Amino acid sequence: MRLELEGKSYAGRQVLGPLSLSVTRGERLAILGPSGIGKSTLLRILAGLDGDFAGRREGAERLALVFQEPVLLPWRDALANITIPTGCDPARARDWLAEVGLAGREAHFPRQLSLGQQRRLALARAFAARPDLLLMDEPFASLDPETAARMVALTGRLLAGSGAGLVLVTHARDEALALDCRLQVLAGQPARLSPPHESP
Amino acid sequence: MRQAPSRAFWPGLLSVLMLLAGWTIAAELVGKPQTLPSPLVVAGRIGQLIGSGELWFNAGMTLMRVGLSFALAMAAGLALGLWMGRSRRADDWLNPALIILLNVPALVLIVLCYIWIGLNETAAVLAVALNKIPVVTVMIREGARALRPDLDEMARAFRMAPLTRLRHVVLPQLAPQIAGAARAGISLIWKIVLVVEFLGRSNGVGFKIHLLFSNFDVAGVLAWALAFVLVMLAVDLALLRPWERRVNRWRHDAA
Repeated sequence: MRLELEGKSYAGRQVLGPLSLSVTRGERLAILGPSGIGKSTLLRILAGLDGDFAGRREGAERLALVFQEPVLLPWRDALANITIPTGCDPARARDWLAEVGLAGREAHFPRQLSLGQQRRLALARAFAARPDLLLMDEPFASLDPETAARMVALTGRLLAGSGAGLVLVTHARDEALALDCRLQVLAGQPARLSPPHESP
Repeated sequence: MRQAPSRAFWPGLLSVLMLLAGWTIAAELVGKPQTLPSPLVVAGRIGQLIGSGELWFNAGMTLMRVGLSFALAMAAGLALGLWMGRSRRADDWLNPALIILLNVPALVLIVLCYIWIGLNETAAVLAVALNKIPVVTVMIREGARALRPDLDEMARAFRMAPLTRLRHVVLPQLAPQIAGAARAGISLIWKIVLVVEFLGRSNGVGFKIHLLFSNFDVAGVLAWALAFVLVMLAVDLALLRPWERRVNRWRHDAA
């Protein structure tokens, strides 16, 4: 998919400058930058959740999102949290739960799972949507380093297995490198994309 | 959180027994069974009503009207409340009408429905529903204003179908408001149904009370009223509470 962004403004103030980016299935791109620079806004535009911008967004790829928070349905059990949003059949959903290490937790409600488990459930849900491109918004923030490292490894394994592409928005360069991402840095006022200065 | 039933049981039973004792003493003191019959006399009348089958037919008719108006009021109130809670513009336009309807006396709506539609079942059910719709709307609107934006976004990101979204994302969030409106609604509705029956129906508990009122038969009025209170309590215990428990299952930690 391709995005040609001329600008994005909030209340008359331009937050994102002219920029363009393109990703395809199998490709991995990380957008780095400090918090508040507009990374999440950019991801929301990519995801088609925010149509209020100047520019063009094209691409027919199937997308799936992983949010900063797990954003699960608290009143549905783990299995239904995969089948209901994605329309995936229960047998496939069970497989995805097993993939992320949640076998046997099908009937658990989200609040009966730890935060790490909830994140893995959100990851399983995203992959169950069979995306060409996975869009992730700071998915490893607010996890302890060990859990974060395991999540990064799991994400990498599932991406390789499914062949999906990735757009990762993060402030942590090491996460992006661990996932073999092409790096782009979002910086400036209004923010633009550029390749990283120092070599990784 | 609700108290465990076993804890609330004994004080509850005792307080009912004390009410009955107070009633018995008052009946003795007044000494006029026509004005204030004793609980035993009333219990005897309830027994007669059950034995003759009269209770089941009339309570059944009343319950049917309660059920129909309840369903109508909940459905309309839910739709209106959701719409007004989600759209500023709808709220601006519909709010004045809502406030007016909230403040029209129940009796006026009933009389107007009977005059405009006729002395029939449609008018009766509609009159009761119209009395209840604004109350449900207001409660649902509050809930709809507080719907979680992150879940909304998730549903959009996964392109969930509108009906799936309504059923799995929106309605569960409104469950507390729906339960509240249902609980407050069912008791309000059956009281209004009795008035509707009193004024323009030829069966049902309200109609029976109308007949007994013209004979100043206090024991009969009390017997019908108490018998129907028991029926409504049974509905609450057998239908509403189990439903609430099932809907609230996810709030508890134990699997």
